[in-house]
Amino acid sequence: MSLTPALSVLDERVVRARAGDEAAFEALYREHAGRVYALCLRLSGERGRAADLTQDVFVRCWEKLGTFRGESAFGSWLYRLAVNVVWMANRGDRRREDKVMPVAEPDLHERGMTSAAAGLGIDLERAIATLPAGAREVFVLFDVEGYGHEDIARMTGIAVGTSKAQLFRARRLLRERLER
Amino acid sequence: MNEKELQDAAQRLPRSIEPPEDLWPGIRERIQRGKAGKYRRLVWVPLALAAGVGAILLLRPRGETWTVQRVAGAPRVNDAPLGGSGTMRVGQVLETDDSSRATIAVGGIGRVDVQPGSRVRLVRAEATDHRLALAFGGIHAKVDAPPRLFFVDTPAGTAVDLGCEYVLETDSSGRGRLHVTGGYVEFAWGGARSVVPIDAYAETRAHSPPGIPYVADAPAALVVALDSFAFASGGAPAVRAALGAARSEDAISLWHLLSRVNASERGAVYDRLAILVPPPAGVTRAGALALDQNTLETYWGRIERIHFRIVVLRGIRNVDARTGRSRD
Repeated sequence: MSLTPALSVLDERVVRARAGDEAAFEALYREHAGRVYALCLRLSGERGRAADLTQDVFVRCWEKLGTFRGESAFGSWLYRLAVNVVWMANRGDRRREDKVMPVAEPDLHERGMTSAAAGLGIDLERAIATLPAGAREVFVLFDVEGYGHEDIARMTGIAVGTSKAQLFRARRLLRERLER
Repeated sequence: MNEKELQDAAQRLPRSIEPPEDLWPGIRERIQRGKAGKYRRLVWVPLALAAGVGAILLLRPRGETWTVQRVAGAPRVNDAPLGGSGTMRVGQVLETDDSSRATIAVGGIGRVDVQPGSRVRLVRAEATDHRLALAFGGIHAKVDAPPRLFFVDTPAGTAVDLGCEYVLETDSSGRGRLHVTGGYVEFAWGGARSVVPIDAYAETRAHSPPGIPYVADAPAALVVALDSFAFASGGAPAVRAALGAARSEDAISLWHLLSRVNASERGAVYDRLAILVPPPAGVTRAGALALDQNTLETYWGRIERIHFRIVVLRGIRNVDARTGRSRD
């Protein structure tokens, strides 16, 4: 019998968590929390909200684990779920899109970034947080996370054309803000 | 910083950022609360079923009603859980949470699939006015009826069915998008309207005329310019950007711009449109600039026929977007 590579290496912790083992699920949380939090932080642009969203993602993950069949890596599945959770949360309050986040959040994302080379990264993180919501979401998914426009359209329900337009807008705004 | 440097910098950002605090205790608590809730729900299921049957008998709707079918999750009608199927009457509200879906049978003329996270109210259920109000969320509507019998009110305006299939999404502030997947839909607000044909989109915002429609593969620069013009007071620079980015395939956008721009910009819009899709007989520059109704409708007739041929013959024939003729 041949299994797909993903199925053949299905993480034992996933199997146990799917059966209701909280300790196994905690281990999965410990492994993936940083990546999920980074995604929530960049997609939402707010640290306080990112923590709540991260919790929401893992609670939803627990509820949906039964539907995970191992067709992809658990992490890929989880990150797509995270995108979906954040997107749905943002949709409820799209007025936020017009809100420009204050640039003065000096410690935003600075944890662990001490080298001079990290300077541009810090500036970019701050600039990303100031983008309008729609542009920020597409920029993070495309340029930071590496999803394609088709993937973004599938995950979020927006049109491919809109995704391209938002990316164009985000890059233009970022270049303007970083050159100030 | 150029585009390449920006993309390189984005790819160098750390993939992982530690949360400021340990979030696991909160997650565990919510998981355990969910388990407890599940068991409590099991206990209450027979009682809830009995109460539900009683409520249905007591509160049977009278007058015009539409059938509602649960598709997934736990949709609610007027705050009451919807079983397998039920009805909505005028004034009642269907709500779906983020994992629920439902389908509304629109009288005998069509159906509306209600997406997760939506609130829909039945406003009118008359032979000549089938009307829903979408407060927020999304619907997929498919209607098989003469034009202007089915309407969906949103915080930004009203979608008027012209014989079509479409997806309409909005948030509670009116920010949304209409995507037409069959036929035509008109989106109207305060006397302004956009006619959106198959395979095209229009953005919506509250207190603003509807967005200028654009085709699914419109250049990003055009979409941005149209958005700026319609919703960000982009004015003449946005119009110039739109004209510069538009292709023959985007004639539906420029046709809408004709009647939305200032008189001083209308000539430039007409001239660009006339290059992209030469006007048919009977259409004159003077008539278009005066917004003569017959002139605009004649021009629209040509533009929408070309658009329709491009869409339906995609993958079969190579259609010249300027003339509508097959290049094969």
